[in-house]
Amino acid sequence: MMRRNLLHSACGVVLLSVLTASPGFAHEQTGVGGGLAAGLLHPLTGLDHLVAMVAVGIWGAQLGGAAIWVLPIVFPLVMALGAVVGILKIGLPVPELVIALSALVLGLAVALRVRAPFVLAAAVVAVFAIFHGHAHGAELPSAANPLAYGCGFVVATGLLHAFGITIGALARWPGGERVIQGVGAAIAALGGYFLVTSLGVAA
Amino acid sequence: MSLRLRTSLLTALLLLTQMQIADAHIVSARLGDFYAGALHPLLTLQDVVAWAALGLLAGSLGAASGRWLVAVFPLGLCLGLALAVAAGLAPTPPIVDAVTVLVIGLLLAAALRIPVALLCMLAFVLGVMRGVANAGELVPQTDRVLYAAGLASAGYVAITLIMALVLTFRRPETEPAFSWRGIAVRAIGGWLAAIGLMMAGLSLAT
Repeated sequence: MMRRNLLHSACGVVLLSVLTASPGFAHEQTGVGGGLAAGLLHPLTGLDHLVAMVAVGIWGAQLGGAAIWVLPIVFPLVMALGAVVGILKIGLPVPELVIALSALVLGLAVALRVRAPFVLAAAVVAVFAIFHGHAHGAELPSAANPLAYGCGFVVATGLLHAFGITIGALARWPGGERVIQGVGAAIAALGGYFLVTSLGVAA
Repeated sequence: MSLRLRTSLLTALLLLTQMQIADAHIVSARLGDFYAGALHPLLTLQDVVAWAALGLLAGSLGAASGRWLVAVFPLGLCLGLALAVAAGLAPTPPIVDAVTVLVIGLLLAAALRIPVALLCMLAFVLGVMRGVANAGELVPQTDRVLYAAGLASAGYVAITLIMALVLTFRRPETEPAFSWRGIAVRAIGGWLAAIGLMMAGLSLAT
């Protein structure tokens, strides 16, 4: 008798759970939320993108003056130009190599406190921005929601810059400059590793 | 604990864990079309981005310039909706929407002090465009007046709140555009322009 009750209960619960089940979206990202999540995560999950964007922020803070305010305003636009090139499926030469090189160069600029003229620094950063934007933009047309993806990756990149500028603000404290240079050296080392990897020398 | 009680508790727990939002009543309520008009733009990313961009621009120009939009923008929305219903005006192509966001973003990023008349014209045109786009949700059973009232109310509330937020953030208004608060607002302008530029590229690609 007890076994039969148990069986009835179990059948009832199974039937109920099947009837009230909702679709599982665990793996397939859909709609605005999916597009936004993909866009937000794209610059954060690629370590080469992440460290280069943080380095841009730190270098801007180190250079000071116009660099610190021009960077967050103009960089997204230049990166969007690169994204448009990617969306239009116009290829760029050796994109992975240049992205790795960007982390190496920007990391070294931070580590060595390179005081480049503003125009030169802007030109270097702009070239790298085109390549980073191209990598993000190439994914945009296939995103669950392209507009949400675009919003996500622009916001994520902007926040990475802000994080870099915040690290750059450590220079106000004693020993802060050493910490910043250490971060720059770590970014350069990662960039070097990515460069070697993209050249096919390392696995 | 008896078996029946245990089963009941388990069933209740199962139902609780699988519950979803009950949106059965909002559509059949007397004011359902009002809520439909108010919620549709707030749940559409194109509207959210464009409205936010306009509110940010108006707020960055100061209260004296921005307050005109409190009336102009909802009027534009209503006119757009009316034109779509009465004259069958079709929504603008995606590239026009993208370029509009790009232009507003650039104006914001450059911190240009545009005249009030130009700001009002921009808001009115954007209102008409988004009003037409929001008419796509109308079905023969929809109460058009309630839907328009909901849309206009959402436009009024959204623009007013975003402007107020920017004005509060930027205080005092006399603060130069190079202060960190000014730079933050301009940086969002850069983000908006970047989003507009990418969407323009996408509409050219498809």
